[in-house]
Amino acid sequence: MNVKHMMLAVFILMTVVLGACSSESSGESDSADGSKTISFIHWRGEDKEVFDKLIEKFEKENEGIKVDMTIYPSEQYQSTAQTLIRDGEVGDVFTSFPGSQFEIMDKAGLMTDLSGEEFVSNFNESLLEAGQKDGKQWAVPYQLVFNQPVYNKGIFEELGIEIPESWEEFLAMNETLKENGYSPMAFPGADIGPGQLMNSMMMNNATDEDIFTQLENGETKLTDEWWVKTLSQFKELADKGYFQDDSLGTKHDGAIALMAQEKAAMLGSGSYAMASIKEQNPDMELGLLAPITVPADEAVYEGIHTTTFMLAVNKNSDTKDEAKKFIEFLSQPENASTYANETGQHLTVNDVNYESEVLKNTADWMDKDTRFQPRYLINSADIEKAVIASIQSVIGGTSPEDAAAEAQKVVDQFVE
Amino acid sequence: MKAGKSIYLFVVPGLILYLIFFIYPTISALFYSFTNWDGLSTEYDFVGVSNYVEIFTADAIFRKSLVNNIEFMLFVVIFQTLFSLVFALFLTKNSKRSVFLRALYFFPTILSSVSVAFIWSYMYDPNLGLINTVMQAINLDSLALNWIGNEDIAIYSISAVQVWFHTGQMLIIFVAGLQGIPKDLYEVAKMEGANKWQTFKKVTWPLVAPAATIVVAYTTIQSFKAFDLIFAMTRGGPNYSTEILATLIYNTAFRSYRFGYASAESVIFMIVIAIITIVQMRVLRSKAT
Repeated sequence: MNVKHMMLAVFILMTVVLGACSSESSGESDSADGSKTISFIHWRGEDKEVFDKLIEKFEKENEGIKVDMTIYPSEQYQSTAQTLIRDGEVGDVFTSFPGSQFEIMDKAGLMTDLSGEEFVSNFNESLLEAGQKDGKQWAVPYQLVFNQPVYNKGIFEELGIEIPESWEEFLAMNETLKENGYSPMAFPGADIGPGQLMNSMMMNNATDEDIFTQLENGETKLTDEWWVKTLSQFKELADKGYFQDDSLGTKHDGAIALMAQEKAAMLGSGSYAMASIKEQNPDMELGLLAPITVPADEAVYEGIHTTTFMLAVNKNSDTKDEAKKFIEFLSQPENASTYANETGQHLTVNDVNYESEVLKNTADWMDKDTRFQPRYLINSADIEKAVIASIQSVIGGTSPEDAAAEAQKVVDQFVE
Repeated sequence: MKAGKSIYLFVVPGLILYLIFFIYPTISALFYSFTNWDGLSTEYDFVGVSNYVEIFTADAIFRKSLVNNIEFMLFVVIFQTLFSLVFALFLTKNSKRSVFLRALYFFPTILSSVSVAFIWSYMYDPNLGLINTVMQAINLDSLALNWIGNEDIAIYSISAVQVWFHTGQMLIIFVAGLQGIPKDLYEVAKMEGANKWQTFKKVTWPLVAPAATIVVAYTTIQSFKAFDLIFAMTRGGPNYSTEILATLIYNTAFRSYRFGYASAESVIFMIVIAIITIVQMRVLRSKAT
């Protein structure tokens, strides 16, 4: 083989390699038949079925628009969504978590301003704040979840337990459950538990909603009373055996199983777990409660809510109008009701007809004094991780003071 | 036959791919390690060596991750090498039984790491998991531990999974090395009256040492990069007890969006692996000779 042939071989190889790469990245939103395809990306694999149904209906109602849905695992979505949607090839409609991911999306200028859109009025105005920045509506939160323990109503009724209104009552309730052979709370300490239960555990210990902003500015510390007290209360629950054995080794699925098998009377995560519990034990009646960590007359908040699954339109999309039509479709009460009832989620949309028993039973929480999930107001992922690690540390046996001091060292690294 | 200059063209495709996918990212990482780039903006500032200074002076989590990584590596290198060598010694012959067992031991290697993590997370569950259920059933309650929830043992529990996952792969390397040893050497040793240990020490080990060098070096690098297993099983928890450098760098880059700082961590990571691998290679080669 001479040099010319070799050069040709190399050229062909390079052409094939580069050709393969380029065909990957040339996403088409217009097809030959004139229809437009919008890409919809999110992280809720459990909602695939209902979204398939809704997308089918949307495509029938909007001839010429197709929706290509891609679902990523939640953890992967949190870390890669920003990169995926940057060039506008995917994620014409994308979703965002509130808090740090929304801040990053905003900082990178990835969202279209939705402020003037008519469909915004389909949402409950008081629940849209998480998608606002600098007076503009960049995303519309779709789901409303309550990040506080779920409880088994049957067990509570059987033992004559009233919903506790103070820390003393909460401890007494746990003791009663324990004495009667139940693990009071299934706590998924290996994954989401600490980051979820911390919200209701601290809501009345630090009532200022800016507490984590102050922490990030160096105006308060984790070694201050509000956080050390929260850690002490976590430790008290663990030391008294109110969490299941070895709770730091239990993942959310395992904790849900303990709850569904009626080995535990409460689950330390949130309302979004209710559908999974009901799936495993359809006869179980469920309710929501939050630990009140102060005397009853000092309690300011009754629980925690999060407006999440925030729908946004990609600023670099070629199909912005079609993308907005899809969000408008999802915000129509009839379609929102389908989504809510089939997924067991409360929504931020007005006039939703909640038909499922679980949603009806917990609808009263929409009128209670709940506070937006404090953890989502931590902008630094490093600080968030340090806060969660301090909870795991006290449950693992460290003193609250030492765990708080250890976590504060990480915070100090990021405080200007 | 004279090959001529055209022979050099054969290395071009490989070289181009190596330049694009290894050299370029490495140089980029080095460059960005001196910046405060957030991975999203087009703008960034040069911050000199301040990322490196922060890592060495103020970053307790980096130090903890490095220590965890070394513990993880030591456990995996020792047990994976030992198990794979012992199994290989018993399965060197190409009998049907040996071939079947080699395939069986190799089987975990072909599974996806996420599946392995999922299976073992379930096995390790303290309340519903298979391991504790079996321990309790045979009255060994004291061995029903909080495998991945106890800060003191979590890193070793994951190390054990890593050993289970890759022993079969290393076994194959050892088997290839053992099969290459001439049989007459064993016959001579037998004639000289050497016992099994003496035969292993004087014949098998010196000749299988090059394979051991590969196994140890590969296992070391593999242990430092055991991102997927740890990320899927514990995400570095509880309380950073299973955080290793690879998961830390991922979090710094893709959760905190501090790409400049993550690049500095990566550069240090690369240097640590290089030093350990070079030292290992020298020690093992000197032992072998």
